[in-house]
Amino acid sequence: MNFEFVYDGETKTVDLKENRFATFGDDKAPVEIESTPDGRIFLRNGGIIKEIHAVSNGDKTFVDIDGTLFEFTIPSDDVGAGGGAGGLETDPSKVFAPMPGKVVKVMVAEGDPVEPKKHLVIVEAMKMEHIVVSKGTGKVKAVNFAVGDQVDTDTPIVELELDE
Amino acid sequence: MPELFNKILIANRGEIAVRVIRACRALNIKTVTVYSTADKYAVHTLMGDESYEIGPPPPLESYLNIDKIIDAAKKSGAQAIHPAYGFLAENPLFAQACIDNDFVFIGSTPESIRLMGNKVESRIKMADAGVPLIPGMKSSGTDIAEFKKAADDAGYPVLIKAAAGGGGKGMRVVHKPEDIEVAVEGAQREAKSAFGDDTIYLEKYIINPRHIEFQVLADAHGSTVHVFERECSIQRRHQKIVEETPSIAVSPELREKMGAVAVAVTKAADYVNAGTVEFLLDPDGKFYFLEMNTRIQVEHPITEEVAGVDLVVEQIRIASGFPMSDHFKNLTQRGHAIECRIYAEDAGNNFMPSIGKILMYKEPTGPGIRVDSGVIQDSEVGIDYDPILAKLIVWGEDRDSARARMIRALNEYKILGIRHSIKYLADIVAHPKFGSGETYTNFIETNFSDWEYDTDANLETALAAAAVVNGRQKPTVGSGQAAQQNYNPWLTLGAWRIGE
Repeated sequence: MNFEFVYDGETKTVDLKENRFATFGDDKAPVEIESTPDGRIFLRNGGIIKEIHAVSNGDKTFVDIDGTLFEFTIPSDDVGAGGGAGGLETDPSKVFAPMPGKVVKVMVAEGDPVEPKKHLVIVEAMKMEHIVVSKGTGKVKAVNFAVGDQVDTDTPIVELELDE
Repeated sequence: MPELFNKILIANRGEIAVRVIRACRALNIKTVTVYSTADKYAVHTLMGDESYEIGPPPPLESYLNIDKIIDAAKKSGAQAIHPAYGFLAENPLFAQACIDNDFVFIGSTPESIRLMGNKVESRIKMADAGVPLIPGMKSSGTDIAEFKKAADDAGYPVLIKAAAGGGGKGMRVVHKPEDIEVAVEGAQREAKSAFGDDTIYLEKYIINPRHIEFQVLADAHGSTVHVFERECSIQRRHQKIVEETPSIAVSPELREKMGAVAVAVTKAADYVNAGTVEFLLDPDGKFYFLEMNTRIQVEHPITEEVAGVDLVVEQIRIASGFPMSDHFKNLTQRGHAIECRIYAEDAGNNFMPSIGKILMYKEPTGPGIRVDSGVIQDSEVGIDYDPILAKLIVWGEDRDSARARMIRALNEYKILGIRHSIKYLADIVAHPKFGSGETYTNFIETNFSDWEYDTDANLETALAAAAVVNGRQKPTVGSGQAAQQNYNPWLTLGAWRIGE
């Protein structure tokens, strides 16, 4: 059975064979993976076993292997949803807040030129400020929030018109 | 004969509120918790015997709102208020408001809190008391000759700093007298453009300093003691993240010397209850007073583990009017303790705060392990408060065994659903330079500035696990989105299990 996940902007396909072996569409050796009736997950290679931790919620799946964290997103047709926060690489002309928070500074206005790393907006969350930057060259099409507004990660905070 | 309080209000949230509640429970004292609407179901809220809402999530409207907290205390009939750390803990107005409303403030006096909160005033007072300060200019200067003289007096290298300060802007290290003129002018220009204020001053530059602090305790009957040191040199952006005691750099002789100064500072400030005196220690064993924290510290548990005491219980006893317990006058250090702070920050992505629901939460247990946590599985981590989730504290017979236990415990600590710093902390404690005790305040900058998760090795395995965990779900679980027209394997999965 095939599963698709988005990780770090790329779609990855996993084939779970015989409900036990996972392969990845190339020559790599399959991973033998099992789950217990109560939902714990472990790898097995002969007598050698290793427990790993994974849990899913909505379109997100979180995995911990030896302390290294992975976050996968189930691809969805609804491109806009959750675009900012997840590993999903979205259209660079739509700029999202990295996390929900409050807009404390807006550094651009409609029509302003932008280049990569140009500071657009500062969002404050958890007592820290985060600078939202442009990822391309072009100009500002719309600024959708003002200072003091609460932003989420689903609505673009700034929209850009980027040079092709 | 004094009596213990029978009810205490805890004016805080998260792990430290839980910590104070536990001390109250150990003393058979009833507890009152307060909460913002964001914390209605938080761990600390529900642990109280009584609980009162004090306003909306922004701290200014709830946990920093003195009137609302005093109102809640009146409603509950509590006799005393424990501020813990952060929020109102070092606000002399709050301490005064408690007193004015006939509540005992579990901490020092408003006067001593005010004094130590004023960094300029407290340094002058401490200098008068003979406490060593970092040599340098008493106030800002403009004339080059002034800077030259101050540098000669302090001894090179010296540090030129912007008074408006921050982020290294307007900061210059000067190693020889012939460079000072250029450095002063450069620092003034940089300070002017960064802060709109070219006021600068000069002090001795301490090479490879360590942050060493002493826990102190004073009662209202004239007894003042120190409870040894903590080394907190491992800091990221001036935020402590790993602390340990004893410090590898503090010999018994130095401990006695620094401890005596810490006690002198405490007495000079007319301080009562638990506090912390912070020093910078240079590699030659010279130490300089930085400031005094007039509260229980985040990192107090390592002191408790090594000294075998309960500092929060003692705070409450002292505030009740008891002389400090006899065992504080005869303390010894046993073994070694380390604390790691677990923050909801993405160590793999520039320490971006991470919010959301904790979907899996497994604390380490076993020999030598203590977890002071403010969250459980299903806790919501929001944007309104400090991102500390929990503190992991370990004890071992010596530094090496404590280190090994810490690494073991961090490896067992599983938090999924939000991003955090557990793996980063494990790599810090496992680092050979940490092992050899080369823990200077620039440790993170020097050794961990470009840390990231090593995801390459295990990406396929992680994908396989993700497939298994999703395959196990019923098809209705998971998307919560509108039905999709396209073929989607997530909608066709039956309930099935691997291995069947």
